[in-house]
Amino acid sequence: MSNASDIPFAKTTKYIGAALPRATAKRFLFGRGRYTDDIEVPRMLSAAFLRCPYAHARILAIDTTNARKFPGVHSILTGVDLARICRPWVGTLTHFAGMKSAPQLPLAMEKAVWSGHPIAIVIAETRAQAEDALEAIQVEFVELPAVVDALDGLNEHSALINEAAGDNLIYATQIEAGTIAQAFEDAEIVEADFIFGRHTAVTMEPRSILANFDPSTGRLDVHQSTQTPYQFQDVYARHFNLSEANVRVVAPDVGGSFGMKLHVYHEDMAVVGASIISGRPVKFTADRMESFASDIHARDHRVRARLAVSSEGILRGFDVDDVTGVGPFSTYPRTSVVEGNQVVRLIGAAYRVTDYRAALRVVAQNKNQMSQYRAVGHPVAFAVTEYLVDLAARKVGLDPFEIRRRNYLTQDMYPHTTATGYQIERLSLEICLEKLHEVMDYAAIVAEQERLRRTGVYRGIGIATYVEITNPSPAFYGVGGGHVSAQDGCILKVTQSGEIQCMISVTEQGQGTEAIIAQIVAEAVGTDIATVRVFTGDTDMTPAGGAAWACRGAGVGGETALQAGKKLKKRIVEVAGAILHCPAHHLTLVDGRIVDAQQHTRMTLRELAHLSYFRSDLLPAGRPAELTVAHHHGPSGFPFAFTNGIHGSLVEVDVETGIVKILKHWVVEDCGTVINPLLVEEQIRGGVVQGLGAALFEECRYSASGQLLNGSMADYLVPMACEMPDIEVYHVETPTRDTELGAKGCGEAGTAASSAAALNAVNNALSVFGASITQIPMTPERILRAIGAVG
Amino acid sequence: MDITGEYRIAASREIVWSALNDPDVLRQCIPGCKELEAKSPEEMDAKVALKVGPVSATFSGNVRLEDIVAPEGYTLIGQGNGGIAGFAKGRALVRLAEAGGHTVLSYEARAEIGGKLASLGSRLIQSTSRKLAGQFFDSFAAHLGGKRATADAPVSAEVDDLELIHHTQNT
Amino acid sequence: MLTTALLVTVMVNGESVQRFVEPRLSLADFLRRDLGLTGTHLGCEMGACGACLVSLNGSAVHSCLMLAVQADGLSVDTIEGLAESGFISDLQTAFHERNAMQCGFCTSGMLIAARECLAHGGVPSREEIRDALSGNYCRCTGYQSIVDAIETVAIARAEKEVGGPV
Repeated sequence: MSNASDIPFAKTTKYIGAALPRATAKRFLFGRGRYTDDIEVPRMLSAAFLRCPYAHARILAIDTTNARKFPGVHSILTGVDLARICRPWVGTLTHFAGMKSAPQLPLAMEKAVWSGHPIAIVIAETRAQAEDALEAIQVEFVELPAVVDALDGLNEHSALINEAAGDNLIYATQIEAGTIAQAFEDAEIVEADFIFGRHTAVTMEPRSILANFDPSTGRLDVHQSTQTPYQFQDVYARHFNLSEANVRVVAPDVGGSFGMKLHVYHEDMAVVGASIISGRPVKFTADRMESFASDIHARDHRVRARLAVSSEGILRGFDVDDVTGVGPFSTYPRTSVVEGNQVVRLIGAAYRVTDYRAALRVVAQNKNQMSQYRAVGHPVAFAVTEYLVDLAARKVGLDPFEIRRRNYLTQDMYPHTTATGYQIERLSLEICLEKLHEVMDYAAIVAEQERLRRTGVYRGIGIATYVEITNPSPAFYGVGGGHVSAQDGCILKVTQSGEIQCMISVTEQGQGTEAIIAQIVAEAVGTDIATVRVFTGDTDMTPAGGAAWACRGAGVGGETALQAGKKLKKRIVEVAGAILHCPAHHLTLVDGRIVDAQQHTRMTLRELAHLSYFRSDLLPAGRPAELTVAHHHGPSGFPFAFTNGIHGSLVEVDVETGIVKILKHWVVEDCGTVINPLLVEEQIRGGVVQGLGAALFEECRYSASGQLLNGSMADYLVPMACEMPDIEVYHVETPTRDTELGAKGCGEAGTAASSAAALNAVNNALSVFGASITQIPMTPERILRAIGAVG
Repeated sequence: MDITGEYRIAASREIVWSALNDPDVLRQCIPGCKELEAKSPEEMDAKVALKVGPVSATFSGNVRLEDIVAPEGYTLIGQGNGGIAGFAKGRALVRLAEAGGHTVLSYEARAEIGGKLASLGSRLIQSTSRKLAGQFFDSFAAHLGGKRATADAPVSAEVDDLELIHHTQNT
Repeated sequence: MLTTALLVTVMVNGESVQRFVEPRLSLADFLRRDLGLTGTHLGCEMGACGACLVSLNGSAVHSCLMLAVQADGLSVDTIEGLAESGFISDLQTAFHERNAMQCGFCTSGMLIAARECLAHGGVPSREEIRDALSGNYCRCTGYQSIVDAIETVAIARAEKEVGGPV
């Protein structure tokens, strides 16, 4: 595959770049995965929560007297009990100037602010007993008017969710670059109003936590289904006033996370608090209904956007207004404004546009909290951008590929700063575009589309570009005061038999982090991958670091492992040199053997380890073999490593039923150095399907009074095997020069623009009817309404 | 969407009106009613067991009568807390008209649910509400007219209300 | 509520087990909690997601929808038993090589559905495989790799059949 970058990347590539299966995933095939809910410890209690059924209500009284008498009940805690030991959290960051959000405590105090807000926690011998007792808790509520629609929430007569704030506006920002009025003067203008539904992560494993506080030592041991254990170590220590060194957070196997399992949830804080108060281990696993009512939701944007284009098809400027409803408060510790912020900053990022205006309003509502989920903001930004670019193409009579050719950033333009201020090192937009054109066999599917149209079959072809933020520096959270690490740490140690143990702070939720780290370590050290074992997800075991978020495992974690591996290799060779009385620079390590310049094996790593650990007396005096190294790496250089790629989607719309069938999906992606193409491709495919779910099925529907109407897997539709197409994935590699490894991220690329491609494809199919749709999910009813088949 | 229905009852408007205000009659006719205790002529405390879709719960709440115009009608407002199942509330505008010695009872009802009931049962709430309203007025009409067959099929139903028709046809 | 524990005898993974269980205990909770067979997962507790599939007298069933007492006298095979018997080793290998699992939470159910899909022999089409998985949610893979893995095994089994002794 062509390489857009002019720097040669010296991949020695026995392991880096190899499509190796994941060694550690085998246990899932034997039923030997170990998820949080699988863990039982002595004296463990189970928790269940009483939740507010109203979207907004005052709590006058809670009576737990009868419930306490239920069999098996250990105790019942309410808001005041936990407020005594838990410092409130506030989901604001200082670099989002002026943002405001109500302080949160584990359980609702005088007011509950969404239907599902936990009010009381029962801990009992079994979950069933805890649930039995919930039935007997009496709560006196006064229902309050609810803010449901984000726009209504901005109305001056609206009910207030956070009275102290004075309004429901959590955050607002404006971006202006260039001369937007001029750009729209004498230009062709295309515009649209978009609605992006709320959807949610639906990890197969629900959230789960087991907190075990030992009052004798003040030790808190937490097993939690999370992607960011170090963040929770910090949160639990600070908010429960514990010694951080005495707090351990372990993420065992995690059954999917997708950004959903890195936020602070009321239930998790209540479980930790309940363990501290009771001095007993307490476990809580959300049932699926609780997941829908309390796992963060995502998107929920209404965007009005205009694009100015010259008659030659040159894009001149974007003008964007985004209103997003984020639930009753801003999520902690990453806030609920990052998604909106990325929407208004990513629109148009792939194009040579200097005139830009955008306004964002982030509004509180009495719905479940909304925050970062896979591809944060990207799907919204690229659906808006790519829909308008297609509209502009139609307006000026260009093919969708041609208008992109004319407006993309090109190889001669890097580094580039976007109109919204993002600094981009290098992209491969035009290379990916031509590659997609080729692999889709564009001319053929267009011809087929036209042929079928005459027979009453309506196919649509859509393409959508993405530019994705990966490998974030502290510019994301750290600069705003957030306790979110952007760096990672790795410890490598040679075992007594010469194998390698790697303890690293990036974490595994199925994406294959442990596999790629093993590949990198084996490559960097020069040893057999079968002898490398990677450990993640335990704050007692690994250095502190950012773990898994924003596509940083390969880019940041991988570079950390690479440099740690090089450090260890140097150390091993030094020890070998001392033993062999040979200058270290004459030696190297290949497949676990120390070889000299003539490639003769002088000793094995196994022999070196044996001598180092069991016959240290034979080593030179005063020079013990230090066969353990640590290395930390944080992004430097560009604040983010931008990736890019393009999606193509071929759909068929049944105009009788409104059902959209996705026939085929293509992705050409560029995540820099590909460490393991098998895993990159599966990350892309999984991401695509989540985006297609958002495009076609997934929506958290609320009633006018703020009730979630489809909080079960029977009513909330996620894509299933029979609805999804085969997805072809191709790679272009433009490594970042900020690291030696050159890897950027790929976990969100699939989701970033698959819904945009599907949106464009459906609109392409509907264009013969003069119809269009700008709302996702594109449900059959909405499709039929768009083509005027139903009122 | 409101649920509406209409019944012709073989009793005078005064008798129907008095039954509509009789907690004993209401207790017998409200589907799943376990307790109903009058606090005042306009207010009653109630305990009602209901099943919406997969969720069963006992609701504790109250029933209030408003806009009372004897003997022409009133608005009945009920709300109940079903513990972990959530809440249910509803209102029904009930009108009585004289029709040749018989009484035509018409109603317009609307129900709302919240919490777990809503997230699991909202697909079913419309049909469940219709069924419950049907059951109530069937029983009510049956109570006044004797054991059976005193309620006609609804004179009009706004929607294709299979359950209600089914119910009334079986009374 | 009936809470008196009842004695059940179930053949689990080829071994007879006897336990007193509460009548309301689901088969899934019985396997997970009482027997420690945590390879059976709970994803929805309403029979929608397929993570809890087990083999009951040879047929795939949702263990979240069954009560433990209903399994009395029956034979249940969980992922642990099927894996240890070697019965699905070709499926396991194909899933592994094709990376047909990410987080692993759906994998037990997928393997049990895959086993059933291929139980009648022949090589199903990709559409037929996708249909056979229509009761199994996977949120990570996008399904294609799972379909690939099952297809690979179907073809390999068919070839073995053809090439093997008559």
